Amino acid sequence: MNNGNEIEIEVKNLNFYYSGGVHALKGISLAVRRNSINAFIGPSGCGKTTLLRCFNRMHDLYPGNRYEGEIIFQGRNILGGDIDLIDLRSRVGMVFQKPTPFPMSIFENVAYGLRLRGIKKRADLSERVERALHHSALWDEVKDKLNESAYRLSGGQQQRLVIARALAVEPEVLLFDEPTSALDPISTAKIEELVVELKKAVTIIIVTHNMQQAARVSDTSGFFMLGELIEIDSTDRIFTTPSNKLTEDYITGRFG
Amino acid sequence: MTRMRSRKLQSAIALTLSGMAALFGLFWLGFILWDVLKHGTAAVNWALFTEDPVPPGTEGGGLRNAFVGQLMITGTATLIGVPMGVLGGTFLAEYARGRAISRFISILADIMVSVPSIVIGTFVYAVMVKPVKHFSGWAGAVALAMIMIPVVMRTTEDMLSLVPWRLREAAFALGAPYYKVIVQVVYRQASVGVFTGILLSIARVAGETAPLLFTSFNNAFFATDMGKPIASLTVTVFQYATGPFDEWKAQAWAASLVITIFILAITIIGRGIIRWKYGNK
Amino acid sequence: MTALLKGRSPIDLVFASMTALAAFTVCLIMLGVFVSLVRESSLSINKFGAFSFMFSSDWDPVKELFGAAASIFGTAVTTALALFFAVPIGIGIAVFVTEIAPDSLKGTIGAAIELLAAIPSIVYGMWGLFTLAPLMGKTVEPFMQKIFGGIPVVGHLFSGNTTGIDMFTSSVVLSIMVVPFIASVSRDSFNQTPSILKESAYGVGATRWEVIRDVVIPYSKRGVFGGAVLSLGRALGETMAVAFVLGNSKRISLSLFDAASTITVTLANEFTEADTDMYLSALYHLALILFTLSFITLAVAKFFINRKTEEHDR
Repeated sequence: MNNGNEIEIEVKNLNFYYSGGVHALKGISLAVRRNSINAFIGPSGCGKTTLLRCFNRMHDLYPGNRYEGEIIFQGRNILGGDIDLIDLRSRVGMVFQKPTPFPMSIFENVAYGLRLRGIKKRADLSERVERALHHSALWDEVKDKLNESAYRLSGGQQQRLVIARALAVEPEVLLFDEPTSALDPISTAKIEELVVELKKAVTIIIVTHNMQQAARVSDTSGFFMLGELIEIDSTDRIFTTPSNKLTEDYITGRFG
Repeated sequence: MTRMRSRKLQSAIALTLSGMAALFGLFWLGFILWDVLKHGTAAVNWALFTEDPVPPGTEGGGLRNAFVGQLMITGTATLIGVPMGVLGGTFLAEYARGRAISRFISILADIMVSVPSIVIGTFVYAVMVKPVKHFSGWAGAVALAMIMIPVVMRTTEDMLSLVPWRLREAAFALGAPYYKVIVQVVYRQASVGVFTGILLSIARVAGETAPLLFTSFNNAFFATDMGKPIASLTVTVFQYATGPFDEWKAQAWAASLVITIFILAITIIGRGIIRWKYGNK
Repeated sequence: MTALLKGRSPIDLVFASMTALAAFTVCLIMLGVFVSLVRESSLSINKFGAFSFMFSSDWDPVKELFGAAASIFGTAVTTALALFFAVPIGIGIAVFVTEIAPDSLKGTIGAAIELLAAIPSIVYGMWGLFTLAPLMGKTVEPFMQKIFGGIPVVGHLFSGNTTGIDMFTSSVVLSIMVVPFIASVSRDSFNQTPSILKESAYGVGATRWEVIRDVVIPYSKRGVFGGAVLSLGRALGETMAVAFVLGNSKRISLSLFDAASTITVTLANEFTEADTDMYLSALYHLALILFTLSFITLAVAKFFINRKTEEHDR
């Protein structure tokens, strides 16, 4: 929690439209502090995942989607036309709902991003792969089978592998899109532990439908509904004394 | 940063190459169609459809015999192949649904679709031509039917499988026996798809030459007796194209044009129907 | 069988039996083809041996000495070369259609490529004989000879008179004919790559091509391989297109610019001319080899194309 007050990402009046014209995000403004964990919560379809996918411009893969407003990341508006998406995505990593190992070995999965960046020397690769796997608390389980197919790992291990893959390229921000929704409780606990550990190194934004998860891991929570940011505050406040009635209803389980 | 530039360049090159592959494919399609159109239209005339061949060196003449023969052979093949194919597909999708035997026959049919058609020709020669010691239209029709059956069978199976099971349950619940459910409900629901499958299978066999070479053979004269050798467009094209006379070559082109237009038209219509009925697939 | 028929009304029984009978004709025909090919080729099998026949390059109808080596050689060379051209192009087309083309063009281009498969082989033959072969013989092949002819060893592949009626032209025609099979099977496999997997590759900062190369193609490799094997089976059995442009020569030559023969071409040209029982039997023997080869090839293709979904479901 060093330099805990520096702003890593600032969203300014962001509007987002899907290609069909659906207005999915309405005037979102928020700030994300460096080395903090930020949870986005809200009922499904509220826009939390849509917002998450703005931070690495994942929406650009599909034609017709449109952004309005600004997202300032390290002093630059990443919605600007001059942004190099490939560079952006290597600095803002992402972990998905389901584990997404690539069809290659465990080692190659983690080394993938490094190879893309031109690191070729086996020694460098090995060192950084090992560090990333240590970092994602997977090393002890896979160190003897690095050359086996990643598909042979369990779901929880695969998810930690994917996190290692994202960590290997040393991103500044890591986006988690409901990372434990496909996992059993034990694997979920491991991932949560890992997320808390990781904030020493990166800024984390996590979308979750699981209230307890948000409460357990995050420093800040934002509550979304129908494409709007209803309230964002420290997680303690959101879960104990929310200022908005809608937030309170949602937290206490009255809808959603 | 130069590394990034070279990666992007590599990506752009690879994507351009794949675009060129697509253009390349389209280029051949255009080249072949244009060529057939050019040579074919120059030679096609009314006499082609209304007159029979004349001796080489004489002016005029047409391929009426081959058109009629082709229609008779393909028509007979359709009459044999469609009922067999539809019934067989019904067995696979209904009575034997989900059973190993259904899967086995289905795979075998898929293989049979791609078995060299000339091999089918030699088989039919062995069982229908050799024993009676002469070629016949029937043998040609049977050879084509054998190619048609697996095609129709597999499309029928696929189309019937698309009919939701609860539709059958609804009919069963009214006390209908299975055959009535199939004929009155399932067939009706799948009719467009099955019909399209039949269309495409006709397109598939109408252009076949190899299985006819040793079965219906060829006949320079007008004949409608299916028990005798009978002319077909495709075999005539083969014979004329490799023959020594310029009039023959011209007529071979004309016949190629007619076959191509017929088959492409059916194929495009069939695919259009599928797209309209079953969405973008 | 009995379980299928239990407790049905008489009409239902009749109908069910009719459908079963129709379905079993497929087995019957396939079995019938195999049995009758074996029976008809028995003369040849007894005289030349089932396998040694395949390695003899004799083909002398007058002395009644037959061997399949020349035909098998021609089949192998034209098919291999055809796949060599067609596989990269087919995959390229699939990449373009699934990953690059704008949505509005995807369907149209895909359908147009598939039309290539609908054009009858006799039309490919006409075009090959009268248009492509002269073009190859007069322009393309002399040009290739100029480039590659001087290279030691490799040069032999491009030696001889360039007539255009040869293995090279045949391979080109064959490759055009099988491209749609590779393209459409590859396209279907590519489409099965989960988009979340592609997104996560983009998420690590991969370029479009890197995503295709490292995720889409490896993920679909079984299907793509199956498509290539299917095309192999198709090319093995193609008759008419090749019959027009290969020249039916029983001489085994290392030059791609020489005429040759395939099993199918031999059958098409000589079957109705076979005047002795031994000659006909030898031709049946060829047909048996072709049937067995393509059956195995197609079964392998089927195995790969079918299994891919199961493996990826985890």
